[in-house]
Amino acid sequence: MLLKNIKRIYFLLPLLVFISLLQILSNSGLVNSSLFPPPTKVFLSFTELLRSGEIILHIKSSIWRVLFGLLMGSVAGIIIGLLTGRNNLYDKSFSPLLQIFRSFPAVAIIPLVIAWFGIGEGAKLFSISFAVFFPVWINTHIGSSRIPVHYLQSSSLLTKSIITKWFRVILPASLPFIVAGIRNGIAIAFIMVFVSELAGASSGIGYLISVSHLAYRIDKMIVGLILLGLLGALTDFIFIRMIRRTLPWIEKI
Amino acid sequence: MDREDLNSLVIKDLNVRYGGYLVIENLRLELKKGEFVSIVGKSGCGKTTLLNAIAGFIDYKGGIDKPDEIGFVFQNYAVFPWLNVRNNICFGLKDTKLVDHFLKVTSLEDKKNKYPFELSGGQVQRVALARTLAANPELILMDEPYGALDVYNREKMQQWLLKIWHEQKKTILFVTHSIEEAIFLSDRTLLIQDKHLTKEFVISFPRPRRKDIKFDEKFIQLKKKISESIDSQ
Repeated sequence: MLLKNIKRIYFLLPLLVFISLLQILSNSGLVNSSLFPPPTKVFLSFTELLRSGEIILHIKSSIWRVLFGLLMGSVAGIIIGLLTGRNNLYDKSFSPLLQIFRSFPAVAIIPLVIAWFGIGEGAKLFSISFAVFFPVWINTHIGSSRIPVHYLQSSSLLTKSIITKWFRVILPASLPFIVAGIRNGIAIAFIMVFVSELAGASSGIGYLISVSHLAYRIDKMIVGLILLGLLGALTDFIFIRMIRRTLPWIEKI
Repeated sequence: MDREDLNSLVIKDLNVRYGGYLVIENLRLELKKGEFVSIVGKSGCGKTTLLNAIAGFIDYKGGIDKPDEIGFVFQNYAVFPWLNVRNNICFGLKDTKLVDHFLKVTSLEDKKNKYPFELSGGQVQRVALARTLAANPELILMDEPYGALDVYNREKMQQWLLKIWHEQKKTILFVTHSIEEAIFLSDRTLLIQDKHLTKEFVISFPRPRRKDIKFDEKFIQLKKKISESIDSQ
C-alpha cells in the first residue's frame, strides 16, 4: 500500500530535485539571483499576487479567451473539416487555400489582426480562434475522409435520412480524430493567448509576464510562465476526463 | 423483369467490374422466399463482390430484381462502436417497439446498455444480426459473418443462426469460405468459379439440423465433393 502511494508521486521526484538545484544554485552566488531568482522568492511572489487577487483576475481573463477561442475555432474546424472530408467539391475548392493558411505561423497574423480589429478583445479572440481552427480542421478532415466503408454501407441500408447519417454515423466516426485535433488546439490556444496578451492587454497572464518584464521582476515572469503551463496541462486533463466519461468507446476503436 | 411471388431475389445476366477487371460475368441466380443459400469459392472469386452488387454498394450491368428492404451482415461486424447495443439495434428505426423483442431473440437483454467493445466477438455478431432483423428486411446478405470467430463460437453461432432463420422466415444469401458451414446451414450451396456460378449442390439433410450431422458419412462425402469441385478450377 505504502509502495503504491509512493509510486503515485514518483513524478514529483524529478521536479523536487530540479527545484532544489535551482534553490542551491541561486543562493550559492554562482549566478545572478535577480536573473535566476530562487524558487522560494518565486513562491512568495505567487502568494503576494494571490493575496492581492491580481492573479485570479489574470487567470480569469486568459481562461475566458482560451475557452472562447477553443469553442469558436473547434466548431468552425469541425464543420469545415466534415465538409471537406466528405465532399469532393468542398475539398477541391477549399482545401488548397486552407492548406496555405495552415502553413502560416499562427503568431505571425497577430500584427495584421491588430491592424484590422485594433488592440481590443476582438483581436485576441480572433487570433486564438484562427490558430485553433487549423489543427481541428485538418484532423476532422482526415478522420471524416477515412471512415471505414462498412459503417457507411450499413447506415445506407438502415436509414435514408441524411441527417441521421451525418449526426449518428459520420460525426461520431470522426470523433477520435476530432478529439486529437482539439487537444492540439488546446496547446496552441495557450501559446496564442500568451502572445496576443503581450500587446494591448490590461489583464491576462501574457500581460502579467509583459509588465513584469518591463519592471524587471523575473520572479513574477516565472510565476506567469508556470501558471500558463499548469493551466494548459489542466485544461487538457479536464478535456480528456470529460471525453473518457462521455465517450467511453473512443479509445477502443 | 419481375420477381415472382415465390422469389426474394432474381438476378439475370449480371456483369460486375471491380478495379478495372470483370469479376462476375453473365451470372444468373434465383432465391426462393425463405430459402437459405450459401456461396463458396476461392478467395477473390467474386463472392463478396456479388453481395455488394446485390446490396447496391457497387455499380453493375444486368438485372437484379430484389426487395426494397435488404439487410447486410458484414464480416467485420460494422456495428457502430459509439452506440450501445440497444441504440445499435434502434438505428434508423422509426418504430422501436420491437427492439426489446429482438434483444430477447438474440439473447442480448442483459447487454443492452453495453458498448460493442465490452462484448465478445460472438455477441457483437449477434448485435449485427439483431440490428439487421429489427429493420425487417425480406432478404439478408451475410458476408463471411463468422470468419473471425474461433471454432467453438462459430459452431454456436451457426446453430443460433439456424434457429433465428427458422423463427423469422427470412431469405438468406450467405457467403463463406467454410464448405462445412455452407452444407450445415443451407438448402443449396452454390460455387462461384471463373466469374460464373458453375455448380449447385442441393443439401437434403432434414431440418432442424444438429451439429452431429457433420460426422455423417453423407455430409463428409458432400464436403469432399464440393472441395474437389473448388480445387478442379
